[in-house]
Amino acid sequence: MGEQLRNIQIDDDITPLVKEMSQESINLFEGSAGQTGPSQFTDEHAARETLGTEGTVASGRMSLTFAIEMLRKYFGSDVFNHTGVVDLRFLRPVRPGDTITFSGKVSEMSREANGSKVTVDIQAQNQKGDTTGVGKGSAIVPNAFLPAED
Amino acid sequence: MEQTDKKIPLDWDALEVGETFEKFEYVLTQEMIDGYREGVMDPEASFPTISHKVDVRQYNAKYTDDGSVNARCAFHCYNPPVAGKKLTVTAWIADKYLRRGKNYIVTEAVSVDEDGRLIDRVITHELKQPSEVGKKWGG
Repeated sequence: MGEQLRNIQIDDDITPLVKEMSQESINLFEGSAGQTGPSQFTDEHAARETLGTEGTVASGRMSLTFAIEMLRKYFGSDVFNHTGVVDLRFLRPVRPGDTITFSGKVSEMSREANGSKVTVDIQAQNQKGDTTGVGKGSAIVPNAFLPAED
Repeated sequence: MEQTDKKIPLDWDALEVGETFEKFEYVLTQEMIDGYREGVMDPEASFPTISHKVDVRQYNAKYTDDGSVNARCAFHCYNPPVAGKKLTVTAWIADKYLRRGKNYIVTEAVSVDEDGRLIDRVITHELKQPSEVGKKWGG
């Protein structure tokens, strides 16, 4: 279970998530779907040909996965795995050797038919402080998770 | 091996929003799930379907182009997939747009398992000029 037992409030900070990127982890991610041929993610030559970069990059979907992990841990699996959404824009390449820190802050809450939609602003930064991705995530939480209305 | 000679060169102007691709089916194995979880360094990662990139798979099976870069991706979680179940994916062209002179294609896909459980929805905005990455961010 995540942190949902406490009250959720606007401006709550989400516990950051830090990921050390490696070529091995990228290869595992790509290989898990049966992608065994050279690609911009796994092969330097392919990256140079396709992207014009000197090295490989990580799929944006890895960053998407990490943002999902951060929010799953915040909302709890029971909530996030059934109502969670993450929408990320990828601003800079993430490369092997990068350390990416995902952070978030609760920005909005609105009543829905089956609970309340809690929206989180998400940011991902590399070890240089450059923003690699931004976006929003949300989940529908039971109203009991929120502060009582006046 | 993919039949590249049967693929259609992408004509971005002619591409029709709403084009729906042939359904794609695959069995999600425990080995796939384990590899995904190891790669993303999260033993509880619940949506290994993300790495399968099913929203662009059928597009890539039909069209050839200069490649792409993922510019934006949204993922909706409905029910974590179960190992050993067959998943059926319906994917379509959800949108296309020009921004700063660059072409983007938006694909969308929904996955359902063999028991009819809705698994996830993914919406991806792909920049169709991937060399822009090297131009902008260098080596």
